[in-house]
Amino acid sequence: MITIIDYGIGNVGSMLNMFKHIGVEAIIESNPIIIRKAKKLVLPGVGSFDAAMNNINSITGLRDVLDYKALAERIPILGVCLGMQLMTSFSEEGKVSGLGWIPSRTCRFPKHTSLKVPHMGWNVALPNKPNLLTKQLSDNSRFYFVHSYYVKVDDPVYSIMRTHYNIDFDSAIEKDNIYGVQFHPEKSHKNGMQILKNFSLI
Amino acid sequence: MLSKRIIPCLLLKDHRLVKTKQFKNPNYIGDPCNTIRIFNELEVDELIILDINSYSKNHEINYSLLKDIATEAFMPMGYGGGIRTLDQARKIFEIGFEKIILNSLIFSSPSTVKKLVDEFGSQAVVGSVDYKNNFFSKKNYVYVNSGNTNTGILVLDYCKNLINLGIGEIILTSINREGTWLGFDLDTIKNIEKHINVPLIAHGGCGSEEDINTLFKLDICSLGIGSLVVYSKKDKGVLVNMPNRLNV
Amino acid sequence: MKISEIGSQICSRCIYDNRISNISFDKQGVCNYCHQVDNLADEYGTGMVKGEQLLAKIIEDIRNAGKKKKYDCIIGVSGGTDSSYLLLKAKEWKLRPLAVHYDNTWNSALATMNIKKVTSALDIDLFTYVVDNKEVDDIKKSFLLAGVAEFDADTDIAFVQVLRSTAAKYGIRYILEGHSFITEGLSPVGSNYFDGAYIADIHDRFGSKKRKTFPNLTFYHFMKWILVYRQKFIRPLWYINYSKETARQELITKTGWQYYGGHHLENRASEFAHTVWLPKKFKIDLRNLNLAANVRRGVMDKKTALSLYNQTIVPQLGLIDYVKKRIDISDTQYQQIMTGPIRTWRNFYTYKKRFERLRPLFYLLAKANLVPTSFYLKYCFPEKIT
Repeated sequence: MITIIDYGIGNVGSMLNMFKHIGVEAIIESNPIIIRKAKKLVLPGVGSFDAAMNNINSITGLRDVLDYKALAERIPILGVCLGMQLMTSFSEEGKVSGLGWIPSRTCRFPKHTSLKVPHMGWNVALPNKPNLLTKQLSDNSRFYFVHSYYVKVDDPVYSIMRTHYNIDFDSAIEKDNIYGVQFHPEKSHKNGMQILKNFSLI
Repeated sequence: MLSKRIIPCLLLKDHRLVKTKQFKNPNYIGDPCNTIRIFNELEVDELIILDINSYSKNHEINYSLLKDIATEAFMPMGYGGGIRTLDQARKIFEIGFEKIILNSLIFSSPSTVKKLVDEFGSQAVVGSVDYKNNFFSKKNYVYVNSGNTNTGILVLDYCKNLINLGIGEIILTSINREGTWLGFDLDTIKNIEKHINVPLIAHGGCGSEEDINTLFKLDICSLGIGSLVVYSKKDKGVLVNMPNRLNV
Repeated sequence: MKISEIGSQICSRCIYDNRISNISFDKQGVCNYCHQVDNLADEYGTGMVKGEQLLAKIIEDIRNAGKKKKYDCIIGVSGGTDSSYLLLKAKEWKLRPLAVHYDNTWNSALATMNIKKVTSALDIDLFTYVVDNKEVDDIKKSFLLAGVAEFDADTDIAFVQVLRSTAAKYGIRYILEGHSFITEGLSPVGSNYFDGAYIADIHDRFGSKKRKTFPNLTFYHFMKWILVYRQKFIRPLWYINYSKETARQELITKTGWQYYGGHHLENRASEFAHTVWLPKKFKIDLRNLNLAANVRRGVMDKKTALSLYNQTIVPQLGLIDYVKKRIDISDTQYQQIMTGPIRTWRNFYTYKKRFERLRPLFYLLAKANLVPTSFYLKYCFPEKIT
């Protein structure tokens, strides 16, 4: 059973819809007491870093439960898009600190006349080491991205997928039980389904 | 690198999908849910749905139908038609659409457009610009209300103003060419693209894979297709299909 | 549905068993349906010189009759193997067909893309009739509420009406259809039944919307097409050697067609009927038609066919949810429908008795190719009460 965290940010419905489509049981949950019992978590996110962190920090008990599940109990947890960025230590977008679960930071895409920001559309994300999350992905490893900031890990060991958009950046990261994907698997057809299927089997 | 985008643009009228020609004479195409389900099976990259009845007085956004549609798609989708308030926009995002497409609101209330951009982010707000060529002056003017009202503003000026509101993308539709299979209005598209710094989705007139290739060769990376994906051929039967990605 | 070796009699030639309605076995244990297929093969000269000659004559007639017209024949298409192959053959026979499709708004991508690929590759024009989506959903809902087996009968009837009315519109007398009794077998009489009156009666009793766009084939229309327009229904695959496997290969290489590895996956309504509605509510498993035909024509051994038949059907994930969404019913309502009373076509108004009374007329019409022989066999004989 996958628990999709509803903290007022991000499209939880689409995520639930894809899990349902691939036959994986999932629920949407906003109550930290129930989240505490979860076996696997998905942290979605769309919009601004500060708004999201503020939401997490202001819902009573949510921050504690998330830290506990990720760092103490160490259940599998997947951050999606902004959700992945929240797992870093901080973001150049905002002032509030991130969850800091994976040593990394969120940076602004360099201003470039030839390439538009946000990075929006379908792009290739290639696994750079064998990993449970990226098993059986087709060679055409395309996913849907929409973001203006990207994640940079402090140590390449945490990077599991790379994407090129003007620069090379980490499109998926992992540290022990904690995973993050910059793209939207719930909007990426079969490749997205494979990622979520793999996550459900971890 | 980013893939080039071929985006089916589907028109909604009540509970049916339709196709117009030069914004007139809607022809029944089929069921919205089933058609989007087909495009999902074909793994299209992105889809746009526009409610063409939305300018009429008592129009209400059909949230329940949009929800049925949204649950059929595992790719990003944009919705346009009658969006005037933040609440309406919020509901559409909650239903599962990635982008809202604004048309008449840009002309009637640019300040609301700015509020929508500030609230939801520029990447989630698309500006839809429909234009018609004036027979005498040969100039392109922007029309709103499903092509019924002439704003009197030239299309290039209109698009430039649109950028200032913070909109993240523009879908540019040639009313003259829509549904005609005659090919894109390349001159206008090239001209507008030069002057704006957000992605431009060219729309209106695409009749073949060659038309798509021609546009891509001009470095226009996104286009909308209508007739090509709902008919088997020009003036022939309804058939939901996608052009062969390998040929373009 | 599981056929146990003990206590059932299975045809010594195919796999129809004694539960099939109106079945009988001869001294060698061969069933009457096998004999029917043999008789048809004999009559039509299937795969033999006789068949080739009969078909060649028909093709010549078609070409002559259509000389001054834009199209000389109508071919009904669904995106499946048979109709797609027929388009291919029609071009080989130098015919100028108009492909006609009835879109019940439940098509899958496979159907529409296959129709697109084949009509494009062969440069054949397509005419489509699209029924109003809410209307057809209401008709389908009425069949679910009625609790009868023929969930997709409206599509089958509308398909014929659209073919015939389009033929009339273009002044074409010849309608080609891709049915093959060798690869499909003949569906047993009595197991399911439908005609225009049946559809109207069920919808009138259990539906809530008026029928405005649904092309129903009423008796009046039926007789008009046959007697006034004198439309000929031809099944070319009845005359020639037809193998689905070879057909698929040819289609793939010549048109980019795609094989989807299963029956009825080109339309979601038909898929629901075959993989959910019939097996779960009625314990009817129609896979035996095709499997029996495979055994009969020697492409599959009986043991394999029986073991396949004994495997439970697993519907595609998401299909039932889609049906609930289209028909607009809740999970509870769906459960009620699935466990509700079962009715049959005998509980409703049909033209069956009328067809039986007119058997001599339909015998002659079948001989003249104005109605398919399979229609005559199925509709004009009373059910045997066993």
